[in-house]
Amino acid sequence: MVKRTAAALALAAAAIVTAQRPVSAQALMRLAVQSFTLSSDSARPRVDEPFHLIVALRVRQRLDQVANLQLPMLADVELLGDERQTVSTPNGTQYRETITVVAHRVGAITFAPATLQAIDARDGKPKQWFTNGLTVYVSGVSAPALRQEAGLMLQRVAAALRLLLWALGVAAIVAVIVVVLRRRPRPIAVTVIPPEPPPPILARSRGEQFEDALTVLRAERTRASAVVVRTAIWRMLGAGDGETLGDVLRRPESADPVMRGLLIALERSAFTYDGDLRGAIEDACAALERSIGSAT
Amino acid sequence: MIGARRPDDLRNALAHTIVGQQGVIEALLLALLSNGHILLEGPPGLAKTLACRSLAAALEGEFKRIQFTPDLLPSDIVGTRIFDQRESAFATVLGPIFANVVLADEINRAPAKVQSALLEAMQERQVTIGPQSYPLPDPFVVMATMNPLDSEGTYALPIAQMDRFLMKVNVGYPSRDEELQILDRFAVADTQPVRAVATLDDIRSWREQAHNVHIDEKLKRYIVDLVTITRNADRVAVRAPSGTSLRASELIDYGASPRATLALAFLARGRALLAGRDFALPDDVRAVAAHALRHRIGFNYRLTTEGTSADRVIEAMIAAIPAP
Repeated sequence: MVKRTAAALALAAAAIVTAQRPVSAQALMRLAVQSFTLSSDSARPRVDEPFHLIVALRVRQRLDQVANLQLPMLADVELLGDERQTVSTPNGTQYRETITVVAHRVGAITFAPATLQAIDARDGKPKQWFTNGLTVYVSGVSAPALRQEAGLMLQRVAAALRLLLWALGVAAIVAVIVVVLRRRPRPIAVTVIPPEPPPPILARSRGEQFEDALTVLRAERTRASAVVVRTAIWRMLGAGDGETLGDVLRRPESADPVMRGLLIALERSAFTYDGDLRGAIEDACAALERSIGSAT
Repeated sequence: MIGARRPDDLRNALAHTIVGQQGVIEALLLALLSNGHILLEGPPGLAKTLACRSLAAALEGEFKRIQFTPDLLPSDIVGTRIFDQRESAFATVLGPIFANVVLADEINRAPAKVQSALLEAMQERQVTIGPQSYPLPDPFVVMATMNPLDSEGTYALPIAQMDRFLMKVNVGYPSRDEELQILDRFAVADTQPVRAVATLDDIRSWREQAHNVHIDEKLKRYIVDLVTITRNADRVAVRAPSGTSLRASELIDYGASPRATLALAFLARGRALLAGRDFALPDDVRAVAAHALRHRIGFNYRLTTEGTSADRVIEAMIAAIPAP
């Protein structure tokens, strides 16, 4: 569990680091977003078998890189790798981020939408786009187990062949081959399951985001995770890079005393001295619990 | 025995006498907590002198005021050696700089040789008269005032001396409501007396606490970034009132010295302590950045010809560095 959460944290941190370029709210990219989707190369991956999540973004502008794109937290899977590809043509840019993950439990896993913050080139207003959410169903039999079983069977067949060769001699080789060919396992029919239609685009609720943050902070009670959670909560409130606590507290969304308490507690966790860090994170967790209660 | 135990008590005592000017009051306290000197610049009549005098009164410390004039001599400030005919020997007479709070009023009215007399006192906290060096009392704070409007009979302060001020604060006019309050408060008497709320030992203790305020590594990097961008401000754009966009580097001859880095850290620590925290935040650094930088950056003539201001350029530079 800790391993999985650590992976989720690492990815969240990577996403935040990617987004934390020296830009201010005014420096958001100006984009005409044509499509922004989250998909998987397998709707029914097997347990312990890697599969890929693909975040695809198509914009009308030519870009070298994409900023302010935040991947969903991957709490139920283990992160194995992350590859980004940007293809620019005169007609626009196709950005594709392939995340390799593996699930260690059977059942449905739901991924929250990825988000993108940019200025909409159509009307010049700052906006946040969401991909679709994604649910995959992890089945119980793993491919490595199947491969192991097939290997054992082949070994037995080979031993039988060697015995027959000794017994019957060269003349019997043809017959043996025929026998072997007859005994070769039939190819397994593969049923292709059509991918399920993506669910409607829904942003994660504020309460769910608080719960995610609390999970992350409880799993890793470190300054780094406190900084990640602080950044995530600030983004939830629409704060841009480079703002300070004072700026965020002046936002109307921060008027709620519970939210103010959370923001101040997270700021303390991010900047206090090492001896106070444990207590600061405890306070931040308590403030997150109050926020969850307040949100529900 | 005076019972003040928090720097905030000092702030409240000053606020009781001075209407508005919260920024000036906070700056005076920051200078005191950070063991630095402060330069207040503003038009006459904005309570600069009153603020310094009130602070000294609230401290129970020794206060001296030196009115800087064109005919002032270094010995008028630091002291001199005079020949005692009865003893047939030279005796040293210490000058008014030997006080806890020294108000250098209209500091730019004295020529460079007098300004230079302050350099040793401000940096080394000692004064050398003849062959002998004399330590200044602790705490020792120079609070200098300067009038930006009056250029006749004034001298520009040397760069080395400007750098020795921990902070420079621009004193602005009060708001309408504050001005009404001033009218009510000072219609009867000249000034409200300030009661002493702290001892010099309190100041020394608070300074020790401020020194121990934690500054996180992220914050240290932020401070250094803020100072170094003043030396290479090519990527900072400043919009002039005419609408033209200028690179900040075109308006700057030289950037802030490493003293600015130290000053930012000292002031951020002091501000955190004033807020009752034992760790500094990005807000602390950003709040004091302009005070620590504005007198340490050498702006050129284009600043005036383009119709922009030093504070506007500094604001752009601060905005260009994302807070951690």
